[in-house]
Formats: sequence, C-alpha cells, structure tokens
Amino acid sequence: MAIETTQPGGIEYPGEEAPTPLQPVSRRSEWLRPHAGWAIVGGVVGYLIGHWLGNVIASGYINVQGSGQNDVATVLGLSLGVAGFLTGIGALNYPLAKMIGREPPPAVPEHNWVRYFRMTEDHKVVGLQYTVGVLLFLFTGGLLAMAIRTELLSPSSHVFGPGIYIALVGEHGTIMMMMASSAVVGPLGNWLVPLMIGTRRMAYPRVEAFSFWIFLAGYGVILTALFFGGFPTGWTGYAPLQTQASGGMDSYLVGFAVIGIGMICAGFNLAATIINYRAPGMTWSRVPIFVWAVLATTALLTLATPTLVVAGLFGVLDRTAETAFFVNEHGGSNFLWENLFWFFGHPEVYIMALPGFGIVMEIMPVFTRKPLFAYKVAAAGMLGVALLSFFVWQHHIFQSGINPDMRPLFMLTTELISIPTGFLFLVALGTLWKAKIRFDTPMLFCLGMLFNFLIGGVTGVFLSDVPVNVTVHGSFFVMAHFHYTIMGGLIFALFAGLYFWIPKMTGKTMNKRLSKWHFWTFFTFFNLTFFPLFLVGILGQPRRVFEYAANLQTLNDISTISAYCLGASFFFFIINFIWSIYLIPHDAPDNPWDSRGLEWQTPTPVPWFNFEHIPVVLSDPYHYGEPDAPPVADLGRVLVSAGGAPAEAVGHGDVSPPGDGGDLDPRPPIL
Amino acid sequence: MSSAWRVTTAVGLFAVAVVGIIFAVLGLLSQPPTVDFTAGHSAGQPVDVTLQTVGSYGSGDHPTWVSYLTESPQGQWVHTTLWQLPAHTRVNMTIYNYDSGSPLRNQQIGQVTGTIGHVALLNGKPVRVINSNAGNGVGHTFSIPTLGINVPLYGNNGNANLCAAAPCTVSSPHQIFKFSFTTPGPGQYPWQCFVPCGLGFLFGNGGPMQTIGYMDGFMKVSA
Repeated sequence: MAIETTQPGGIEYPGEEAPTPLQPVSRRSEWLRPHAGWAIVGGVVGYLIGHWLGNVIASGYINVQGSGQNDVATVLGLSLGVAGFLTGIGALNYPLAKMIGREPPPAVPEHNWVRYFRMTEDHKVVGLQYTVGVLLFLFTGGLLAMAIRTELLSPSSHVFGPGIYIALVGEHGTIMMMMASSAVVGPLGNWLVPLMIGTRRMAYPRVEAFSFWIFLAGYGVILTALFFGGFPTGWTGYAPLQTQASGGMDSYLVGFAVIGIGMICAGFNLAATIINYRAPGMTWSRVPIFVWAVLATTALLTLATPTLVVAGLFGVLDRTAETAFFVNEHGGSNFLWENLFWFFGHPEVYIMALPGFGIVMEIMPVFTRKPLFAYKVAAAGMLGVALLSFFVWQHHIFQSGINPDMRPLFMLTTELISIPTGFLFLVALGTLWKAKIRFDTPMLFCLGMLFNFLIGGVTGVFLSDVPVNVTVHGSFFVMAHFHYTIMGGLIFALFAGLYFWIPKMTGKTMNKRLSKWHFWTFFTFFNLTFFPLFLVGILGQPRRVFEYAANLQTLNDISTISAYCLGASFFFFIINFIWSIYLIPHDAPDNPWDSRGLEWQTPTPVPWFNFEHIPVVLSDPYHYGEPDAPPVADLGRVLVSAGGAPAEAVGHGDVSPPGDGGDLDPRPPIL
Repeated sequence: MSSAWRVTTAVGLFAVAVVGIIFAVLGLLSQPPTVDFTAGHSAGQPVDVTLQTVGSYGSGDHPTWVSYLTESPQGQWVHTTLWQLPAHTRVNMTIYNYDSGSPLRNQQIGQVTGTIGHVALLNGKPVRVINSNAGNGVGHTFSIPTLGINVPLYGNNGNANLCAAAPCTVSSPHQIFKFSFTTPGPGQYPWQCFVPCGLGFLFGNGGPMQTIGYMDGFMKVSA
C-alpha cells in the first residue's frame, strides 16, 4: 500500500473528481418514505401479529394454559416486532428490490433533520444516530442505577420488592453492557474511521445503517422485559434460573441476540472498511491508533458475538420448544450456557476497553504536542489483548463448578493479558512524559480514564488469582472492579472522544466552562460512588441482593448520595450539548485543537463525500513538536503542516513556495 | 428556527421524558396492598393473623399459580403477602391449607422451628415434624428465614375435590395450622414458602415462587 512519496510531477488521484451530488429522482412524499415513525408502527404491528401467532400455536400447551405466561407468543411477538421495525425503517427495501429484479434508486444525500430518523448511507449521519442512541442507553441505564442505589440506602427498609430489585439490576446491567459494546465503535467508529483512513464511505453502508437500527430495536426489546416481570438472573442470564424465569427472560434472550446481530454487522463492516478502503499511502504503520483499536475490536465483535447470538437462540428454544440445551436433567448442561456466555462475555470486556484506549492514545498527542510514544507497541498491545481475550473466559466461572485443575491455567492466561494491557498504559504514560500538557476537557477525561483504569486494572489482577477470587466472588468488590474498568475507562474515554470530536461532528463548539464542570463533578463523584464499594465488597456485601449487614450502611449511603451527584453531573453534558448544539449554537473552526489527524483536515461541516479528492497519505498523524515533520497528507489542494493546520492552498501541479516559513514542510513539495 | 421555538421544543421534550420516567417509576413501585394489623392494636396484646393457601388462584393474570392469601382484620380475604405488624408482639398465626402435598426434596424443612415452643398445632394436635413421605405429604411451608421460623404445611389428599379458586372456604378439604411467634424489632422481614411448588416451572422454582403476593412476601414490623 506504500506509495513513492518522492515521485515528481503529478499523481493520479483515485477519485480525482469530487462526486457530483445526485439530483433527487422522483420519489414518494417525504412522510410516506421509510422513517422512524413507520419503524415504530411496523414494530407494534409485528409484535401484535407475532403474539397472536404465538397464541394460536401454543395456547393449548399444558404449561401455557391458564398460566398467564406464553413464551412462544412473547418470543414470536418480539421477533416479528423487530422484523416489523426494520421493515418500517426500510432496511429490507434494497434486498427485496434486488430479489425481484428491480434496481433501487441510488442514495441521495439529504441535508434536513429528517435524515437522522432514516436509514442512510452517510456514515456521519449513522455516527450521530449512534451517538444519540448510546446516550439514550446510558441515560436509561443510569436511571435504573439510581433506583438500585436508592434501594440500597437502607439495609432493611425497602423501596422495591426483591423481585423488582433484581429485575432492575438485570435490566441496568444488560442495557449498560449492550450500550457499552457499541459506545465507541458505534458513534465514533462509524463517524471517524472513514475520515481517518481517507475514504468517502463505508465498505457496506447499508449494513452500517442496519447495524444501528437493529441496535435500537434491541434497546426496545430489552426494555420490554420490565413489562414482562423482569428477569432474575442479572445480566449474565445463568441457567437453570434462565429456564425458570418469567416472560422478561424472553426479552433478555431475544434482545441480546438482536443486539448481537447488530454488533456482528458493525464489526465486519468496519473491518472490511479499514482493510480495503484506506487511502493511498495509508500504510499499516500510518493508520491512526484509534483505527487500530477499532480494528482489534472488530475482530472481537465478529468472532465472539456469534457465540452470544447462538446461546440466546438455544435459551429461547429451551423456553419455547422444550429443548434442553441448558437443562441438566434432560441431557443438557447449564455449564454450556455459562461457557458460551463468557466466551462472548470476556472478549466483550475488551470490546469495551480497547476503543477507549484508542481514543485516549489518539487524543493525548494532540494535547501533549508530542508524538505518540511507541506507536507500534500500542498497536501490538491491542492485537495482543484481542488475541488473549479468547483464552481467559473461564476465570468468570472459577466458583461455578469448573474442574479445579483448570483454574491455574486460566489464572495464568488472565494474568498474561495484563502484559499487553500494560503496554497500552505505558504508551500513554510515555506520551505524557515531560510533556507540556494542555488541560482541555478532552485531555482531562483522558487523564481521568488512566487514573480509573489503573484502579480497575490492578483490582482485576487481584481477581484473576484464584484465592482472591474465591474470597470476593459475587461480592461488591467485583462490581466495583468492573465499574472502574467500564465506566471509569470506557465512559471517560467516550466523553473524551465526544468533547474532542463534537466540534467536527456537529460543526458547533461546546461550552468550555460547562465541560470542565462536567469533568470534575463526574470524576469526583464517580470515585466517591464506586471506591466505597470495594470496601463493602471486602466486608462481604453480596451483589444482586437488596439487603445487607447493618454495619455497611454508612459506606452504602456515601455511595448512594455520590451516585445521585454522579447522575446529576451528566446534566452538565446534556445541558451543554443541547445549549451549544441546538439552542445557542456557535460555529466551530475546522481544526480547533490543531490536530494533525486526517479527519481534521476536512472542512466543517464535513461534506457528504468527505474529501473533495481522495487524499494521499504521506505520514502518520503523530509528528507533533517535530520541526521537520512531514506533511500528513496531500489532499489534492492542501498540504497539511506539521502543526496540524492546513498550511496553504496548493493546486495540482502548483509548487509550494520553499522555505516560506511557518509550519510548511520546507522540503520540495510532493504533488 | 427561532431560539424561542428551539427552547420550547427542548422544554417540551424534557417534560415528556420526565412524565414518562415518573410513570415508569410508579409502575415499578406498584405491589400488592399491605394488610395493617397495627391499627387499633393495644400494646401487650397478641395479634391474630389468618392465611390460606390455594393450589390455583383461579383468576387475574396468573389463574393457575399457587398462592397465599391474607385475611384482613375486617374479615376480608386479600390477595397479598404483605403485612404490617407491631414490634415485640406475639402473633397467633392460623393457616388454612387448601392445597395437596408431596414428599419433600429436603426433609430438613419438614421440621417445625422458630415458633413459640417449637411446636405447631395441626388440626388441633401438636406436631414438631411432618414426615412428608407418609400420608398426603407437605404442600408448602411458612418460613421466615431471618427469624429461623419454619412450619411445614401438611397437604390434602390430591384425589379429593380440592378448592381451585380463591378465596376458598372451609367447605373444601383443608388442614388447619396454628402456631405463635414473637415479632422482632422494627424492620422488614421476608417470608416465603420453601417447597418448590410453582407447577409448570422448571423444578417448581419459577413464577409464583419468585412473586410477591403469591408465595413470598414481607412482614413489615413497626415500632
């Protein structure tokens, strides 16, 4: 993929001419075309049809008659509801048109707000749809967390019953895990990757849009669990409780499978795009580190998630068709679920963590004005984590009856994974070393992420040791650990990324004062919420139980009050976002952070075709602080300077004036 | 779009979200009614609580589910397992069991524990343990784990014409249990049936066994 960068004269630019926007062809009325409203209608109609069909099929079953619970009807209702939702949004239009031999009309760029409620082939719109979708997940899961913490204010006086409490815990965990699995890859991956690698589109833009809308459908499905009595298993859905549970378990199984399909679609689309659609000159050693992180994540998404989808299908069959995949007495095994679930579940941890590290390592050079330390080690670390993550899953079931002789092996593999993870940490610290740091909000969130992830990571090494694991398994210690890694790591990184890229994504500037208020309250109350939970965990408070020992109330109350403040701190972001983007918008400059990243070299707002000319990439984007740094890319008319700012408009065949000072590359221009 | 219109839209959407959240929270807070045994109670006097068990509730969302019912001080049968009781007070419990029985998987819960005198009266005769492998077996237990209370409820003959819809009356086959215990200090104490009796659920552990108002509930003790 490398190009000869000293080639004199002109270069043949693939896609030389900017695509001419297509003229709208004759179309139906705007409101008759597929959009989110029709998707909701389709979902409701699909659910009703499926539920009716399930009653026709199964109402005569002995275990259904008069029980008030028909799992066949619930599963069919939810499945056809999802199908109806996708039909309403128009996800099936293209394949159906092809199947009947008609050529669908080409996608036409839309510029009105309605495009955010439609299937679209514009990766930037999909990225923003994902952003709002992920924030919706986060908000819903956060409200459930507030309910959980409210219940734990008192050891013996209760707001909710035990069944409602465990339903809230399960719903919170599942929604947050679903959200977190797409939190970075969905919004920032879809929005940024094509821009970062210099392409105009995703490899499979319709699949990309499909992945978002099915992700949203999964959100609806999992929410329905609350209306069907919840599920008593927490987010892990262990059998045999899974098989015994009420109708909410159907929502869990169908919802996870639906989200899983979306994750697989998003994963292979991003992988195909990164591998095949890089711009000329975007060699593997020049690929931005965030793209490496996304690539490593896509390997996990495409290889681990199918296990979850299949396991969910098995669970659905056990509950509806009387199969016995997870029923010991009938020849199955509940361990099968545990292994299938965690074979997905542990790579899932890195599906969440790796993009977070990618964001942090992408942002830190900008605010330290230093090259990324040990770029290749960082990329290798990500691939190492991705590979090893498939060999550690049984540490989740040390206490669930696995062969004790297997424990040392999985303890070893789990400890091994801390080595490539340590690479990533050292890369971040090396980049910080002796830097003159600009403490803007994105950088603050990066530093917060490193602090939190250090605590989460170190406690994770403790937990990988069998003796410690035996002691604290199922306690709040484990809960605090994974909140430090996921919320303290991923969500901090997500906010770092949002504050960093929102000016490019929306063309608007966020309010700096509110941003910093958000960070400091978020960081402070995050630690005040979750650190006490390490202590109550060591003191014996079990997860998923709504009563606890009276002597733990003070620590729990500190955690609960802090959790309220943590929840309130989100409003700084929400108010800032609505205020800055919608109510009183201020236009952002093209490159407000002076970044060398390729995505920042585009105009703001980014045109629908991204680049007027396909760029030729000339170096990696991390040569900050280097006087002789090569330009990042030749955009056809703009050479990107070492400092990151577009240096000067240069037409093809023109010659940049040598030695004209400033940040312009003093070498002969490469045109 | 004017700023005023934007603000109005944002505030409107916010209001819709708040209303939706309030409805959702109220929905989660809904639970069966609590029968109050503290009203009019004189200190030092015992409280009489009467329950019944029925093999299938017969109506509502789950007509085939097994369930407990509670008789209110006014003599009405209420479909609930939540009670309000005074602290440090003797409770005289009467349970009418209208359900059949079966052998226990764990004979440990065939013992009467935690009651005053560690005894219960089965149709007027004192018992300390019920052999569930003999006779009609055990249908349910009344258990308050935190207080160590466990009373096995001897079942009815499954071939008899058992009551199939609550509330049942004494004209149907039944067994009567009487026992007493003392309430502890203020707090909420979960109680439940320990016999996996959720027919139609794997190993009998699903459905009514996990649902307040059916086979588990709370004794809310107030000062």
